[in-house]
Amino acid sequence: MTTPRSPDDVSRREFLGTVAKTGGQSFLFGSLFVNTALLRLPQDVATAKAKQETEIGKGVIYGFVVDTTKCIGCGSCARACRAENNVPDGYNRTWIEQYTFYPNGEVVVNSPVGGEAGFAEPPTRNMPAELEKVQPVRGFFVPKLCNHCIDTPCIQVCPVGASFKTDEGVVLVDKERCVGCGYCVQACPFGSRYLNPDTNVADKCTWCYHRVTKGLLPACVQSCPAEARIFGNVSDPASKISHILATNRVQVLKSYLGTRPRTRYIGLDSEVI
Amino acid sequence: MRHAAHFLRLVALLVVAVVGFLFVRSKLVPQDFGVKGHFRLSAIADEAAREPRHIGSDACAECHDEIGNAWKAGKHRTPQCENCHGPGLMHTKVVAEESTTAYPDRILKIRLAIRRPTGIVECKWCHLRTFERPSTLKSIANVADHINSHTGTFTKDSKCIDCHNPHTTVVTVNAKGVPVPPKIGP
Repeated sequence: MTTPRSPDDVSRREFLGTVAKTGGQSFLFGSLFVNTALLRLPQDVATAKAKQETEIGKGVIYGFVVDTTKCIGCGSCARACRAENNVPDGYNRTWIEQYTFYPNGEVVVNSPVGGEAGFAEPPTRNMPAELEKVQPVRGFFVPKLCNHCIDTPCIQVCPVGASFKTDEGVVLVDKERCVGCGYCVQACPFGSRYLNPDTNVADKCTWCYHRVTKGLLPACVQSCPAEARIFGNVSDPASKISHILATNRVQVLKSYLGTRPRTRYIGLDSEVI
Repeated sequence: MRHAAHFLRLVALLVVAVVGFLFVRSKLVPQDFGVKGHFRLSAIADEAAREPRHIGSDACAECHDEIGNAWKAGKHRTPQCENCHGPGLMHTKVVAEESTTAYPDRILKIRLAIRRPTGIVECKWCHLRTFERPSTLKSIANVADHINSHTGTFTKDSKCIDCHNPHTTVVTVNAKGVPVPPKIGP
């Protein structure tokens, strides 16, 4: 025989369950209104803001143009990048790809050590044996680097907010915040990122942010003897890059992915991937 | 309410948990995180603070003015000094530092702080013929054949700079028309 339960008579299990549910809900609901900015000291935020606004030029948007028709494949850019940014061996922030077209329609793509050691001396050419004696019909070099996309896949996937974009459109990695999970390395469709084995954090081309904010050119642009790399402020109509962009037909890599790269290419062939 | 005490205990626990969470969070999240986006704002200044290692050919020419002028006037003015010599920051630092090191050692230290090109490897980066290179670029298919076709003196120690001045590309010949080693050094 069961006696009718009074409203006050709840079992411990029911009670704890209800409390946990309502408590959890109100915690989640309440956390929507907690502005984390309130927890910061106001002067810290103000200093950080002022620091950024004074240090970095306002209204500057950087752009990069690679003229593949001028590249001679010397590898100076890749060597300069390694020296400037202390890139560990086996990794590249920028590299050169060599495209060779054969009469049978075959395309051979090569990038031995990122093109740093040059291309002409054997055994850098890695290709099918039957093509060894065939005279190619067409060929060119394509330098590659981070595209500094406007709609970046790499920043989206970062779980700790270590990848970010500056006002100038440069995609950077916060080396102190990065936990080295490597999601961004996988997310980048251009292979521009790598996990640095020395620091165990993600690393990438910064368009030499430490140089360009001091008024210098990126190391690869400065070292290019063929003027195949052009860097500058695209929001300034008088800059060299604005002139190049206005007088040339440019293309981006993998436009079908919709990442909207800021690195643009002159003379990009449809075979270039 | 019979269970008011239970409620109060749990609410107190909840408040402690929330406050504790917010406290820990405020300690773990950097102060300037989220000011301009989902990142630490001072990371921009951190990245910008790095020291450039390539000083530029104009900086080199401030001291090495003779070579600098010859380089600028010659055909080889597009490759920069640091393309072959490596970044110049350490070199300038060693030159600028106050030093008590005695004379010959100091010169050696300054020399060691910059790369001394081999005089053949660097040339091949651009001037060895490969199909993809533009035909306007002067290039040779084979170093041995090139030297033997001109002087017939190729050995395994032969270098491009035995005849060509790398800074100006000029080849100086003697009265007999034989190339003489160019004066390259500082």
